[in-house]
Amino acid sequence: MLKNALLASAALLLLGGSAQAATWMGGDDQPTNPLACDATPPTAVAKPYDGGQATNPADLKGKPIKVVDVPKLIGIGYFNATSKGIADGAKELGNVDAKTDGPTKANIDEQITFIDNYITSGVNGILFAANDPVAISPVLKKALSKGIHVVGYDANSQPDAREWFINQAQFNGIAKSLLDNMVKETGEDAGIAIVTSTFTTPNQARWIAEMAAYAAKCHPKLQFLETVEAQEDNNLSFNQATTLINKYGDKMKGIFGMTSVATPAAAEAVTQAGKCGKVAVIGLATPNAMKPYVAKDCVKSVVLWNPVDLGYAAVEVLRAVVDGTLKPGATSVKAGKLGELQVVNGSEILLGAPFVFTKDNIGKFDF
Amino acid sequence: MAAKQSSGRFWSGLISAYGQELVVLGCIVVMFVVVGTYNPRFLNNTNLVTIFSGNAYIAVAAIGMSLVIITGNIDVSVGSLIGVLATVAGTLVVNGAPVWVSWIVPVFVGMAINTVLGLLVAYLRIPAIVASLGMLSILKGGLITATGGKWITGMPEGFFLAQQRWFDVPAPIWFMVILTVLAAYWMRVFPTGRTFYAVGGNAEAARAAGIDPRRTCVLAFTLHGLFAGIAAVLFCTQLQVIQSTVPPGLELTVITASVIGGVSILGGTGTVIGSTLASILFGCLGSAMVFLNVSAYWLRAVLGLLILATVLADMARRSRYQSAATA
Amino acid sequence: MTKNILVRHETILAALLVVALMVLTTQSSHFFTVENLLNQARLMAEMGIVGLGMTFIIVTGGIDLSVGSILGLVAILLGVFWKNVGLPLPVAMFLAVVAGSLAGLFNGFIITRFKVPPLIATLATLALYRGLAEGISESRSVRGYPEWFYVLGQGDVWGIPTQLWVFLALAVVAIFILGVTPFGRTIYAIGSNAVAARFSGISVNRSLLAIYTASGFLASIAGVIFVSRVSTTRSDMGTGLELDVITAVVLGGTSIFGGRGTVVGTLLGLMLMQALKSGLLLAGVKGDGTITAIGVVLIGTVIVSNLFRMNTDG
Repeated sequence: MLKNALLASAALLLLGGSAQAATWMGGDDQPTNPLACDATPPTAVAKPYDGGQATNPADLKGKPIKVVDVPKLIGIGYFNATSKGIADGAKELGNVDAKTDGPTKANIDEQITFIDNYITSGVNGILFAANDPVAISPVLKKALSKGIHVVGYDANSQPDAREWFINQAQFNGIAKSLLDNMVKETGEDAGIAIVTSTFTTPNQARWIAEMAAYAAKCHPKLQFLETVEAQEDNNLSFNQATTLINKYGDKMKGIFGMTSVATPAAAEAVTQAGKCGKVAVIGLATPNAMKPYVAKDCVKSVVLWNPVDLGYAAVEVLRAVVDGTLKPGATSVKAGKLGELQVVNGSEILLGAPFVFTKDNIGKFDF
Repeated sequence: MAAKQSSGRFWSGLISAYGQELVVLGCIVVMFVVVGTYNPRFLNNTNLVTIFSGNAYIAVAAIGMSLVIITGNIDVSVGSLIGVLATVAGTLVVNGAPVWVSWIVPVFVGMAINTVLGLLVAYLRIPAIVASLGMLSILKGGLITATGGKWITGMPEGFFLAQQRWFDVPAPIWFMVILTVLAAYWMRVFPTGRTFYAVGGNAEAARAAGIDPRRTCVLAFTLHGLFAGIAAVLFCTQLQVIQSTVPPGLELTVITASVIGGVSILGGTGTVIGSTLASILFGCLGSAMVFLNVSAYWLRAVLGLLILATVLADMARRSRYQSAATA
Repeated sequence: MTKNILVRHETILAALLVVALMVLTTQSSHFFTVENLLNQARLMAEMGIVGLGMTFIIVTGGIDLSVGSILGLVAILLGVFWKNVGLPLPVAMFLAVVAGSLAGLFNGFIITRFKVPPLIATLATLALYRGLAEGISESRSVRGYPEWFYVLGQGDVWGIPTQLWVFLALAVVAIFILGVTPFGRTIYAIGSNAVAARFSGISVNRSLLAIYTASGFLASIAGVIFVSRVSTTRSDMGTGLELDVITAVVLGGTSIFGGRGTVVGTLLGLMLMQALKSGLLLAGVKGDGTITAIGVVLIGTVIVSNLFRMNTDG
């Protein structure tokens, strides 16, 4: 009896789930701001400073500081690259002792515990990439209240929980770049699928929302077929991408990989399905993982930014904050070999335009 | 009159002996019919082959897990173990070792690590769940420490065993089928295989019959390591990147596959054929959800309900069989 | 008699805890401060509350793998009841806890009525409850709770973290029930020999239903505290909690086969784990090293405890 009830509930869930599925693509519900369809550069929005401030920080101008970097998780190529950037920056500065430590899965519970414990250990600065913007804020505010400087990169927290946030590129700029590059390969009238990490990851959700808005504005004939979750797992991403290829057949002309794990897996799925050149793969990835596909011309371009530079900028900014050379209200900051970086949206520092890895330049990078 | 009774008993005997496996097979068939009607592309040759070969490594790992569970133990560290072995394979080949070496060494390493686990359980009397919980942590932490969290890329072409096709059937499927048949046959027919059932069913009685439960227990774990090694090689030779993490919840998937396949957690019964069928069921289910346009959110809930339904069916069958047997 | 107390698992564990604390204190001056200890206690509270219920269950020879999923489900339901259904927050909290307790009751129901082994039953509900959390929330978070709600997870009462008071109160109740009351003795009896217990007139099923419901209830409380601590709800909260809790309980001397174990032991096990996590990090060991260390400590403690027991049992 119970068994029948269970099977009936399973069937109901299936039906209910199938009714829901068609609508949501994985974007978040915050307002979007699509860019112009042509090459007009985005207008910088001037906003007053809205970051938090460290309470009575010690005066460590010029003195050695201890910094910990807590990314979303350790063990994936993207954060290995940011970690390398942080280490490079620290070495160049000479007076920063930087360490990367974090959870082995992208879980907010553990990330908070790590940060909390490092607060106790008396670090002078914290760099982070948040698994959840709201959940991470209480512990970051605690750090600020203890005089620890807090700078974020890659995935933001709430603005008042950190002093500055290094944004790799504007969300709408990333969306424009991804879509324009995709349409270059697939044409205007194409079915596109998306492989993302989870629907709760803040930056992925932001990008997808902006992509949907930009596509509606500038590439209206593009159809978004489906968005699937693959967490940060290689195998799962591969399976999901293969399923999409099989499900849609020739209707699907392109796949977006929204994480550095999804893109190589999607490229592999396309290669193994023998659809190289018929299904375009565009997305976020580290060069090493994509080299085999770019070499075979299966993937033409990897639209991204340089995560090593991202980490480098983060540690440079943190040093500038500690030394007092970067104060609220500044419009730009000097970040070592990267030069002057713009301040946008009040307390965000823009790394620059998206970086495109192609067959010509991918060999120069090793991360 | 007697002949009719005995043939009836033959069928009911077959069903009660292989009932669970038939239930799982039935579920697979139902799923194929339902999804295939909804979206015929699901039944495409490429699609089915991809699903089977992509999930074959889970079936292979489940064979080893079934052995452990049949002897009355459990192992929650198999996920981390596969991660470690995959990294061993990748590191070897990237550092110049011949390809066949990088396939064989992980198998032996897996056997070695799990033999240690088996010894902890059998001779030091640490309960299997505790020992494997500890081993899980040691392997997981150790792997990150050893790799620094880096991915392994740049493996040579010949490395990708899982991508090869023999007689137009992908290699993983061959491994899955052949290993399942071999293991099932071995356990039914060979005395050593049957001691697994004996020890799992009643260790004291087995001891009285001259079987050393401790030796059997360790053997089960060692073989489990063998299968985990093969599974790891299949797992890591499929894609161009080897992460230092494995799919989340891999150990629970493997355990669930064994259990749903009919291996009783109480020990003593179940076959590896069941666990392989269950692995296929799970692999297909994920893909089926996408084809059915079911919101990905409900996938896990459906899976949970399915597990419950299957287990309840098994318990019901078991109690009916028992009451019929005692009647 | 004294020898028996000395070689009890709990005593060994307490000694190990003291040694660990001493060693870790020498590694970092930040470790053994009032502030850090209170902070660790705050972080430990959720795991501790769930561990109380898990002790009872493991003493009966069972297990509950679904506690993490119940925590996540309760967190989601709290957000849904409050924001989507529009109930006042205290009512939403109450209903969420009721829902979590019902989830525990369902576990107990499957285990007692259908005789499904606890490992399998809770393995299935682990997937089911997590799936419900994901499905109901559609992975959207609920945030923006009123200020007073955060006192539970982030505030202090008389200088002690709020959730620590809750934890201590529940712990005292748990110690009392398991150690002193007839119900507690029933639990031990079931764990030692369920068949004999049944024949001696103990209502085994009713007791099991009670403790699985209690486990769901405690996981719900932990869920509410957790939401308060991080000010948001997510469907992946509590993933992996069950393995940590089971490690703490087993570390504390509760035998996985049932019949032995105390709440005090679980508390000691929890403290040891938390001390290791905190102290090792302060000593400069990174996350992966800590994970390995806990695995080694777990196996080592059980080996040592077994050796002692084998010697005294004779």
